[in-house]
Amino acid sequence: MSAARLAVVGGKYLALAGAAARRCIAERAVLVGRVVFLGVIIFTFSRIWAVIGARESLPGVGVRELLWYLAITEWVVLGTPPMFLAIEREVRSGDFACRLVRPIDYMGAQIAEAVGEAALRMAALAPAGALYALAFGGGLPADPRGLWLALPLALLGSLVAILFMAAIGLSAFWVVDTNPCFLVWQKLVFVLGGLLFPLEIYPEWLQRLAHLTPFPLICWAPGRMALGWEPQLALSAALQDLFWIGLLAGLVMFLSAQARARLTVAGG
Amino acid sequence: MRLRAVLRFARTLVATNLRASLALRGAFWLQAVLMVVNNVAFFTMWWILFARFREIGGWRLQDMMTLFGIVAPGFGLAVVFGGGARQLARAIVDGQLDSRLTQPKPVLLHAVASQSTASGWGDVLTGAGMLYLAGRLDLAHAPFIALAIAVSALTFVASAVIFQSLAFWLGDVEQLARQLWEFTLNFALYPQPLFAGSLSFILYTLLPAGFVGFLPVEIVRSPSLHACLYALGGAVLWWTLAIAVFTAGLRRYESGNRFGATGS
Repeated sequence: MSAARLAVVGGKYLALAGAAARRCIAERAVLVGRVVFLGVIIFTFSRIWAVIGARESLPGVGVRELLWYLAITEWVVLGTPPMFLAIEREVRSGDFACRLVRPIDYMGAQIAEAVGEAALRMAALAPAGALYALAFGGGLPADPRGLWLALPLALLGSLVAILFMAAIGLSAFWVVDTNPCFLVWQKLVFVLGGLLFPLEIYPEWLQRLAHLTPFPLICWAPGRMALGWEPQLALSAALQDLFWIGLLAGLVMFLSAQARARLTVAGG
Repeated sequence: MRLRAVLRFARTLVATNLRASLALRGAFWLQAVLMVVNNVAFFTMWWILFARFREIGGWRLQDMMTLFGIVAPGFGLAVVFGGGARQLARAIVDGQLDSRLTQPKPVLLHAVASQSTASGWGDVLTGAGMLYLAGRLDLAHAPFIALAIAVSALTFVASAVIFQSLAFWLGDVEQLARQLWEFTLNFALYPQPLFAGSLSFILYTLLPAGFVGFLPVEIVRSPSLHACLYALGGAVLWWTLAIAVFTAGLRRYESGNRFGATGS
């Protein structure tokens, strides 16, 4: 693909991402709701850690670090839009077939819109999460340098989550109602991803099981950076992110091709 | 309208909703089972924490299971038998109460009990499982468990009615009302000792987490006449408020000028 062609295609996806972000701004009430919800969760856990934190939940990790961990993991999860709903809706209504005639790849457009919305959501939730963690935790983590590493890992983690949701959305061609698939995936992120507290608190066997899956890359890896300066760990997580992004992108392309074939045979 | 007639009407509404839920048997079971999976996954958090710390604010895993065993069925029964309470704000804003106002039946009861959410049965199942694991599912505890769950369910519905009725004055508050209700559920699923001082006051007033969770669970944890009366009193208070707020709001209600039919 020539540079000029690449710029044109890239421009289309950027325009879609921008439009999705603007739509997100228009739905201010929903965004505010998420910001408040983030505060409630961090506050609740500040109480839990305040009660049990004195007994040292993890060696060298205090209540403050655990709250920053939670602020980061919730930031990623609340920042990632449920794009599977849009795909399911278009598959059910038959709009999917209409969108195929547009001069842009359907799944590429969906992912671009999700990325745009995620960027806006994360930009709004980041200062709120940081303020909550500062207020309820009483300051920055002991080694705040790790927060810089959390940023790229959170963005990569969010992209992993978006690709998972794209695959879940495409499953609508076979299962129609994708909500059960989403709920199972969401719970896997909740438990194996370490959404509420670091995997190090889990029993040994569950930690090992979690690390065999991509779910810790969505929550634990970026959140872990709040517990200390771990550049090696961050690099390893980033490489794993890239591996899973490649794998999931391949899966989405495969499912998309299968869905089109199904559409051609069965009709829209 | 006489009480007996009201009760007969309520029974008919509930039976109709249950039949409607069970008509789509596959979807019914799928929703219920998924809710159980959802709840078990959520409870994993407590299992992991208690496996490591044994005690949180004087609470042990058995206490958490008891709390879950009361609040989950309370919430489940609330959405099964009073699922319409969650849609009140939308109905008020869209003028969908018109069809109910023309019928010689209590409007609030009609609106609240005219919808049922099948996933609530999953909450009821989860609660039964939790109470069994907590060792509370026996004859001695049965009347206290029944009372605690009933109080929790009634207060859940009453609080939904109050939050959603704000639409009479404030317009489209669907999101806000839903969020307030979710916060109530959220706080009710954590041990009470975590929330002391002024927050405790909020959890017994603005958000009735104390009445849907903390007080009912005390009936089962340490049964006493006092605990039963407090919890019952809370439910009566919240329902009195709910009826007063809804009735006051209904006087401000404006018709949606819509033509349509309603099945229940």
